[in-house]
Amino acid sequence: MRSSLALDRVAVARGGRALLTDVSFTVRGGVVALLGPNGVGKTTLLRAIAGLIAPVAGTITLDGTPVQNLAPRVRARSIALVEPAEPVLAALTVGDAVASARFPHHRWWEWEATAEDDAAVGDALARTGLEAFRAREIGTLSAGERQRVWIALALAQHASVVLLDEPTSHLDLKASVETLQLVREIAAGGAPVIAVLHQLEEAAAFADRVIVLGAGGVVADGAPAAALTSETIERAYGVAVTVERRPEGLAFHRNTTRV
Amino acid sequence: MTTLRLAALAALVPLAMLIGVAIGGAALEPGDVVRALLHPAAGGDAGIIVWQLRVPRVAIAATVGAALALAGTLLQSLLRNPLVDPYLTGVASGAGASIAIAVTVGVAPVLVPPLGFCSGLATAVLVAVLARRGPRLDPERLVLAGVSLSALLSAFITLAIERVARGTASEAILAWLAGSLAGRGWSDLAAASPEAIAGALLGAATIPALNVLRLGEGRAASLGVDVVRLQWVLLIASTLLTAAAVALAGLLGFVGLVVPHLARRVVGADLRVLVPASVLVGASLVVLADALARTLAAPAEIPLGVLLAFVGVPTFLVLYLRGGARGYA
Repeated sequence: MRSSLALDRVAVARGGRALLTDVSFTVRGGVVALLGPNGVGKTTLLRAIAGLIAPVAGTITLDGTPVQNLAPRVRARSIALVEPAEPVLAALTVGDAVASARFPHHRWWEWEATAEDDAAVGDALARTGLEAFRAREIGTLSAGERQRVWIALALAQHASVVLLDEPTSHLDLKASVETLQLVREIAAGGAPVIAVLHQLEEAAAFADRVIVLGAGGVVADGAPAAALTSETIERAYGVAVTVERRPEGLAFHRNTTRV
Repeated sequence: MTTLRLAALAALVPLAMLIGVAIGGAALEPGDVVRALLHPAAGGDAGIIVWQLRVPRVAIAATVGAALALAGTLLQSLLRNPLVDPYLTGVASGAGASIAIAVTVGVAPVLVPPLGFCSGLATAVLVAVLARRGPRLDPERLVLAGVSLSALLSAFITLAIERVARGTASEAILAWLAGSLAGRGWSDLAAASPEAIAGALLGAATIPALNVLRLGEGRAASLGVDVVRLQWVLLIASTLLTAAAVALAGLLGFVGLVVPHLARRVVGADLRVLVPASVLVGASLVVLADALARTLAAPAEIPLGVLLAFVGVPTFLVLYLRGGARGYA
């Protein structure tokens, strides 16, 4: 069964400062790109959807249950969150790191990996092309390889919704494309994906749906071609942009070359 | 492979304890020691020396070593900082300052250990309160609060030593500062065991969550670890363990900081293996060090803390610097 994630009039704040005041949308599948200027509250909203912080107002429900009410392990079995760089024990091997994804599937006295855990970890490593990296220490990996590890972690978690915060930041072109292809595969497997992205081109090329956040709330929500217009982009970012529709996708050109 | 290494470490403990019981100030033949061990009720000089002096002392050394090593492993993992020592929570300096003041003002000797224990816990609570940010503990603030408060309390200890009349009182304080098991017996072990056991059980229950914490606090939270609860449980566990060790042995630096590193080199960073390995290494190390402390300058004793520092720190520095520091990146 596909999961349904619904935000109803959600407001979030960080450090007492109100960011988004009224966000409503429902996600049932596919890749949803969350766009918007720096500081608008994308990351905070994603953390609220993951149940790690409480929204100031409104409700976030997963299949009808407010995520706030879920016990930590139950929540982690339903929602996976991939966040950008956070220091990690450098000596940890890729295999051990990905195996941590099975934590929410264990009760506190269950310390040993089950056959199901091994299968989930093996499958996640295979899908992310990390089988040969199983024994490698994370400290020795490149940024792109590390990002694959975090996505493998989300896969092994077997969550019904996957949230990604800037999955392509610090990645070169090839690593970005590979990461976004993985993201598409996750969504094809049935789990809705919400990804915070910065590159409009990436969002247009890889997302099924784009939600553009501006001051306070949702500026546009729809298929990339419909949601990413000169008008919505200027409203959200305050920058005049010409959107060019090419056969291979959307291209964005800033109208003023001098700032 | 890891299991084999753990088994080897487990074999080290009874071996160290046997050595600890076999040697000491009084010259006993190995045969007498074995006979006394096998026949506890037989009595005699050897029986009394073995069962009333050496066995309790070895048991206490093992408990202290295990408790400090466990507390160090748990705190280093919680704060994700390999340079954290269990005394960081203020337990040791809190206990030390109150013991120094109590000895200076002439509190009845029987009241001094419980007073030290309670002040140690109180200091840890104060450090935790200072380290709070909302409901959670801020690792950086914890280190800062622990180091600052410890410095302040150390000043009280120095003042007490400076003020107190030269003689038995200052010796009592100095013996505590130097770390020693001299004169400890079964009753001391019985008094400290409940805290140590409670701390160990609490700590053990957190091991799977602590393993996930190696990925970072944010990732652990999104994987279903209740980070705030984990922090408080571990702080309580390590404080109980450290308080028990401090009550038994005074200040034994080095063990809580270094043993986790030694154990990590042998069995790796998986806490399911690392925690038992640390406990085993800590117990063996302190038992052997205490045996040396009792015999090297017999009939006098070298303070255990001093001996551990002299032998252990250079060894550790060589091992650690050659192996390269591996932290979080």
